[in-house]
Amino acid sequence: MNSKKFIAIFLFVSFMIFPICVNTAKGAVSRDAKLCLACHADQTLTKKLQDKSKLSLYINESEFAASVHVKTGCSGCHRDISLDNHPVVKKITSKRNYMIQQSGKCSVCHTAEELDKRQPIHRSLAAKGTCVECHGSHYIRAMAVEKIGIKENQYCITCHRNRISMTMKNRETLSVYVDESVIKNSVHGKLQCTECHTGFSKTSHPMRSFDSVRDYSVITSEICWKCHADAYKLYEASVHNEQLKAGNMKAPACTDCHGSHSAVSAKKDRSIGLTSCNKCHRDMSPSFEASIHGKALKKGNKDAPVCSSCHNAHDVESTAATTKIKAGCLKCHKDAAKVHSKWLKNPPITLPTFAEAHFDVVSCAACHASGGERGIYLSLYNRRTNKPLTEQELTNLFGTDSAGLTAKMDSNVDGVIDAKEVWDIFHDLFNKGVIAIFMGKMDVRTAEQAHMIGAKEEGIKDCGKCHHPEAEFFKNVFVVMKEDEGNPVLLDAKRDVLNSVYSILPISKFYAIGSSSIKLLDILFIVALIGGIAVPIGHISFRIITSPIRALRRMGKGGKK
Amino acid sequence: MERIHLHALPVRIWHWVNLAAFIILIVTGAQIKMGDKINLFSFETAVDVHSWLGFILIANYFIWLVYYLVTRNIKIYIPPLHHPVEFAKKALTQAKFYGWGIMVGDDNPHHPTFYNKFNPMQQVSYLMIMVLLIPLQLITGLFLWDPHLFGPGVNLIGGIRIADLIHVGLWIFFSAFMIVHFYLATLGHTPMAHIIAMFKGYEEVHEEHGHGHDEGHDEGQGNVHAEEHGHSH
Repeated sequence: MNSKKFIAIFLFVSFMIFPICVNTAKGAVSRDAKLCLACHADQTLTKKLQDKSKLSLYINESEFAASVHVKTGCSGCHRDISLDNHPVVKKITSKRNYMIQQSGKCSVCHTAEELDKRQPIHRSLAAKGTCVECHGSHYIRAMAVEKIGIKENQYCITCHRNRISMTMKNRETLSVYVDESVIKNSVHGKLQCTECHTGFSKTSHPMRSFDSVRDYSVITSEICWKCHADAYKLYEASVHNEQLKAGNMKAPACTDCHGSHSAVSAKKDRSIGLTSCNKCHRDMSPSFEASIHGKALKKGNKDAPVCSSCHNAHDVESTAATTKIKAGCLKCHKDAAKVHSKWLKNPPITLPTFAEAHFDVVSCAACHASGGERGIYLSLYNRRTNKPLTEQELTNLFGTDSAGLTAKMDSNVDGVIDAKEVWDIFHDLFNKGVIAIFMGKMDVRTAEQAHMIGAKEEGIKDCGKCHHPEAEFFKNVFVVMKEDEGNPVLLDAKRDVLNSVYSILPISKFYAIGSSSIKLLDILFIVALIGGIAVPIGHISFRIITSPIRALRRMGKGGKK
Repeated sequence: MERIHLHALPVRIWHWVNLAAFIILIVTGAQIKMGDKINLFSFETAVDVHSWLGFILIANYFIWLVYYLVTRNIKIYIPPLHHPVEFAKKALTQAKFYGWGIMVGDDNPHHPTFYNKFNPMQQVSYLMIMVLLIPLQLITGLFLWDPHLFGPGVNLIGGIRIADLIHVGLWIFFSAFMIVHFYLATLGHTPMAHIIAMFKGYEEVHEEHGHGHDEGHDEGQGNVHAEEHGHSH
């Protein structure tokens, strides 16, 4: 081998191994550092902290040598320690405090301006002094090198595996720590972080600010819509979304029920349909647990319903204003109409539709709830759209506010809505171009009562409870006003709202034979009977009076022949 | 004494079934509607009977309809609207008879025959009843019988309460009508003449009461009663 060839091979090999050298044992440890390592290379070297924990003071020389700070040496960061001055007693309360304290030293070289220029997110993180948490301490490598070959999720988790947090405008803090195992076990375990956290990447980490932790939860729920458009479409029409839009920040968004990184498939874990609801609706738990459904659930019956089984998961409606709640029951009790038609029938043909006619206006709870006060609930709907008229819509139409609307509904200010007032609202809305209708529903009074579904044999089968002029279940009548937040407001109504001629058009779709008949027609019936009898009596009387005339004519003594 | 054939057997069956059904339906209807004032049956029994009778009435209506359409005798219900003035005069004459003529011993201006059974007032009222009111009563009855099954129809008329309003309104009308109808049925040449005719099909009239002409024929028996007359109310 001649010398030229040797030089060429040497140069080639040198170029090939240079990057490896740079990446591994690229730097020589300084003399000062060597002196420090004389002690700190001992793996057993620890310091007992005030919180009784032990802080390892061991430094891996080769790892340190590969770090970007090898040239800085030990004293570059540990400025209070030198060969001449190594404090023996140094009070350290905890590892975390020590990390924060040490992170402060980074800013000596890495100024805020520099960090801001590189990645603005550093500004907020550096202020909390948690550099060490993300970058480590003695073995820090250049980020450009760190990013090579590292998966995106790994890159994100580099920082987010630490107990870092976000501070909101209202000074609330939100932990942005991510437990990698939780996310891997979630339904989104195979997704990349940036598939949800759009706008973020290895090179970009936007600075965002939110008013509060709640504001953050609500806004970031929009992330879910991207993939779960169908669920969002249902949620959009829900009472929860209505409340949120109306400014009730307690109303749930996606993550409130599903969690964020721990999201599980509701198909695999039905408990989400119970536990998430209980966060806000805990007051419903006792009545549900006392019900046949709650007992079945407790026994482990897999078919037992949870909240979302009846109320739906996303398109949750206000139960007082909806007419759809029975759909929840019928999801499981598919043959309910057939079962009911065994006794709830109308001869000569037994059809399940007769039972369904009852289902249309009677809530399941009205007959199946154990105890409770029943009543008739009249909700104002727009007949064209078939949707409830909200308080906001009504106040806009009448150019008034909430109090003004109540005053308009109860125009005689007696605290009870009467038939004339029902008509007036219907008439006034008609004049405003809205064809309104009061949709009626027979239901229990409170939500607690609605959950207390008893056993099948406890169900009410007495027709007289509804189909009688003095029906017990028709004694309480309410007009349901739907507030914009979806919360119903009940206004007391007079019993005769259901029996007045004023109600014929406004309540044209709700009628129960026997109990909601028009009273005036009863009077007309009596009048007609009297009139029917009066006609023959009057005619006969007149014939008796005129009988002499007929007698005379028969005898040919008078009149014409 | 002459015998005038007025009512064919299917018509007589239809009429008496109608009568029984109407009475029971009116009474059970009152029980269903006014349970606080009437206590003849339980609500359930009243509904059961009312529903059964309702369907019997529907079937009975078709007996009437099919009979009159097949025999083409439905024309006895159709007023001669091509002679409106003459028809109006006859109707006025008939009204005058009921209001005054009957008091002073005038003869009934209308002399019924098999093919000209109704006087002008009957013709108009029975046409309205058979073509409009009874079908309306039957249809609204069906709507109330099963508002879910007949949901589209119920919605078409504006809601179940509208169906009830029509049904109850007609119940009131038919209740009064039944009374007046029964009274008018006693205004034959004898109080029972029309009623017996509705059983036997024939009405017996005295010769001297005979008037007018009839172009009709006795159905099924080949007897011609062109010169036979009677009173019909």
